Amino acid sequence: MSRRSRMALLPHGVLMLAALCFLGPFVWIALAGFKTQIALLTSQIVFHPTLRNFHDVLFSGTSDYLHQCLDSLIIASGSAVLDLAVATLAAFSLNRMRWPAWCTIAAIGWTAVFHMVPPITLASAWYAMFRPLGLDNSYVGMILAHATMNLPLTLWLMLAFIADIPTEILEAARIDGAQPAQVLWRIVVPLVRPGLGAAAVLAFIFSWNEFPVALTLTQRATATVPVGVASFAQDAEIQYPQMAATALLSILPATVLLLAARRLIVKGLTVGAVK
Amino acid sequence: MLKLLAAALLACLSTAVLAAEPPITIAAPQTPWFGGFHHIVDEYQKDTGNTVHLEVSPFDGLLAKERAAVRSGQSPYAILIFQVQNFVEFYAGGFLQPLTAIDPKFRLDPQVYTFDDTVFWNPTTGRCERDGGILMSVPVNPNVPVLYYRADLYAQHHLPVPQTFDQLLANAKTLNAPPRIYGFVQRGDRGTLNIGWDFLPYLYGFGGDILGDQKQGDFKVVLNSPRALAALQFYVKLAHEAGHPNPASVTQAEVIQDLVTGRAAQAMITVAGAAQMDDPDKSAVVGKIAYAETPHAAGQVSEPPLGHWLGGIPHNLPADQQKAAMAFLAWFQTGKAQMDYARAGSPPVRRDVLTSSLANDPHFGWMRPLAESLQHARQPFFTKDAPGLAAVFDLKLNQALAGELTPAAALNQAAHAMEDILQKDGYKTGILPDLKE
Amino acid sequence: MTTAPRAIGLPVGRLPRQTRRRSSGEHLWRWGMMLPILALLIGMTLLPLCALLILSFSNVTWQNARPILTSAGLANFAALLHDSLFLASIRNTLVFAAAAVSIEIVLGLVLALALGAVRRGKDFYTTAFMLPILLPGIVIGAIWALMYNPDFGIVDASLGALGLPAHDWLGNPGTALGAIVAVDVWHWTPFCFLLLYAAVESLPTDVFEAARIDGASAWQRCRYIALPLLAPTILVVLAFRAIIAFKVFDEVYLLTSGGPGTTTEVVSLTIYRRFFVEDHAGSGAAMSIVAFLVLGAVTLAAMRMIRKRQAR
Repeated sequence: MSRRSRMALLPHGVLMLAALCFLGPFVWIALAGFKTQIALLTSQIVFHPTLRNFHDVLFSGTSDYLHQCLDSLIIASGSAVLDLAVATLAAFSLNRMRWPAWCTIAAIGWTAVFHMVPPITLASAWYAMFRPLGLDNSYVGMILAHATMNLPLTLWLMLAFIADIPTEILEAARIDGAQPAQVLWRIVVPLVRPGLGAAAVLAFIFSWNEFPVALTLTQRATATVPVGVASFAQDAEIQYPQMAATALLSILPATVLLLAARRLIVKGLTVGAVK
Repeated sequence: MLKLLAAALLACLSTAVLAAEPPITIAAPQTPWFGGFHHIVDEYQKDTGNTVHLEVSPFDGLLAKERAAVRSGQSPYAILIFQVQNFVEFYAGGFLQPLTAIDPKFRLDPQVYTFDDTVFWNPTTGRCERDGGILMSVPVNPNVPVLYYRADLYAQHHLPVPQTFDQLLANAKTLNAPPRIYGFVQRGDRGTLNIGWDFLPYLYGFGGDILGDQKQGDFKVVLNSPRALAALQFYVKLAHEAGHPNPASVTQAEVIQDLVTGRAAQAMITVAGAAQMDDPDKSAVVGKIAYAETPHAAGQVSEPPLGHWLGGIPHNLPADQQKAAMAFLAWFQTGKAQMDYARAGSPPVRRDVLTSSLANDPHFGWMRPLAESLQHARQPFFTKDAPGLAAVFDLKLNQALAGELTPAAALNQAAHAMEDILQKDGYKTGILPDLKE
Repeated sequence: MTTAPRAIGLPVGRLPRQTRRRSSGEHLWRWGMMLPILALLIGMTLLPLCALLILSFSNVTWQNARPILTSAGLANFAALLHDSLFLASIRNTLVFAAAAVSIEIVLGLVLALALGAVRRGKDFYTTAFMLPILLPGIVIGAIWALMYNPDFGIVDASLGALGLPAHDWLGNPGTALGAIVAVDVWHWTPFCFLLLYAAVESLPTDVFEAARIDGASAWQRCRYIALPLLAPTILVVLAFRAIIAFKVFDEVYLLTSGGPGTTTEVVSLTIYRRFFVEDHAGSGAAMSIVAFLVLGAVTLAAMRMIRKRQAR
């Protein structure tokens, strides 16, 4: 083999190795979902598959999985939409409506700084704030909490995307007499649509997976999937097969979403898409 | 015909009367005995027509929710199930409604264990005492460590059931054949009374203690005593000579995992773990595990620690909900309910059930050791800040087991830290002279 | 994302004079569009942080179901200086974040560049690499805890199959933190890869073509052209990842709970226990503030240092 073709294989080798490392545990989790607990604990390679774990997760009296999926769906979509709306409005204003540069830095700085406070401490403060307002154990409260937590990422992404829109397009619109709202809605949003998609998917995933704040702010009526998964980790027993089954059930819709949106995400994050 | 109509009318009326209480929600922990609890809650609903919702939370999450519940305007839960480390916090803070204030005629059934009087609280003295104390809660689940051992291996090697710690060590060394099987596995992980709870049978069994006679108001720290040192030295020795190679990171769940996979020949762990031992989906040692009371040092007595759960009623609840909660607790402590509870896989809180013919069933082999243990089981902390004391206790013990500190240094540091905490909380405390390090 | 100011969305360049007149309507829009974010930030961040600040200077006790706040001055903060657990947690968190983030950025970059260099299989690789992002942190913690188990975990089983001795990765004080870093790398490299890959895809190809024609090797093209162009993105990804890494909780909670000893105690865990288990709100609040100041200072210092090396 010529040196050139050997060199060409190098990136493939690296990528293949990485893919195996990332996929390996998934395969293991998938198998674990079908094992009995003792089979899993004794690392049986040849085992009798059972559907009992999936049955426990979906239909037993102690598990609330389907309801938790619904809760997670509502909270994740709600907070993603809220994040996008707030971030896009703010990004457009900061970037295109002639605020002094320090304002943008302050906005990003504040969100980043606040981002550094462990969410655990904020959770208790939020609970204390929400309870008198009746927002604890409510979708609205959780949506506000998750939107705030994911705001730094969405704000940064939307600022980057909006910054890359050529000024001439927006100027032309303004000369034509368009109001800022129309400029935003008719021109900016269509141009950054891939970016919106990417930001939305990331915000959705982060909200879906979030655990400590959800644990504090929700009860049975609004519990999310991670809270449900945590209930399998008990003090005398960690019910791994049920956890694996839940993980598998949760990954399936997310994987479908990923497969469909994968190109969109990469495209969206690539600034070149705007041009 | 008329008789039939009358009977039907009576039946309708009585069901209407039966469902007399408003629906309530119980805050419960995600524990092994929850399955049994869930079952009898269903039985209660069938029996009485009342509605009970269950709000289940993982361990730590439950405490945070319960605190938040009692500190808010109206508690979303009518019954709080809390573990015994937190009861003084709830009692002293005025967060619970005394049961006799809701129903002056209510009495704890004489067959129900009082768990070192932790169900009573005397607000004037700030102590748990029966005389002068008010009934604040009903026990919901007993919890003591018992010795689990592989009966088949004992039979194979002709080993006696150990009464003393030395016998335990001897048995462990005989059965120890790493890495296939460990003679004894300890729960050494750090938390809030994890390794601490694991160590307490040794501490008490060697005649040591953490604090003075708390029920008499003596909160002097006596943790760094020669007897406690002997206990800790034995504890570490057991790990090194016949135990898991890295005991300082083994969690309770992992100890039970080791038992069910056959990796551990013996362990001293919560009686609640027994539920997994004979489940063919979860265990490779079905029918092989037997139980005994925890051993003691020569010349001492066996004294396991308590770790039970209590059920109380929050103060910030409307009167009708409080009554409904009382109705459940009153039903819960009856013999029939407790029998159902035990059959559903949860240790009961009544003496007569625990010592009934059910104990002869091989499935319930843990009942007799549990009954024996409950006769001298002790509550470790009667202070407001039990979690703080427990955390520092765990930290220092864990460091001793991991080899970061010598046993003497660990006990000294733990004692000083505890004295600080008690002083800040206004308790009458003191300390022993330091052990030689 | 070509230059740093553009990378964070700062407006570039000035507009012609006549368009700088502002109508009152535009003024309304300007502020109106900022209103949602201001409301969210003030309500959800400013107020809680003020409450936290007040708490950190107080002691909270409860009597008759009522909270009693007594001023503690700087006592809570002073106590932290002697709190060996807290100091260990800060140290561990910094070490963990530094190790994890640097490995993740390097790996993410390598994978992004490798993917940019191949023509086929891009879809398969991107999907494979993005999958770990989908799992909740606690599931990852639980599954890896089982995989690491020396008695029946697959990590040691695989090592055994290769003839290497088994090792208690999480139980051994020397390797516990490293084992957790490995789990974090598995969890977050995809995130770094994603953002860096997007940046790689947007690199201008003409510059590379010119360099290749001039005879530059792949390595030279990478080092002297690609890396400097990617630098602003790397910086931003670094900042984001570092901040998230400082807050790590889910995995550590399930993998080791801070043990053995204090070797994997991280700040979030300590604060969680202080606040929610031990119920010492004043101390927990003081911890949060100190942690946030320390970690913030470290992040700023690191970014400044990297930007300086950039400019060279």
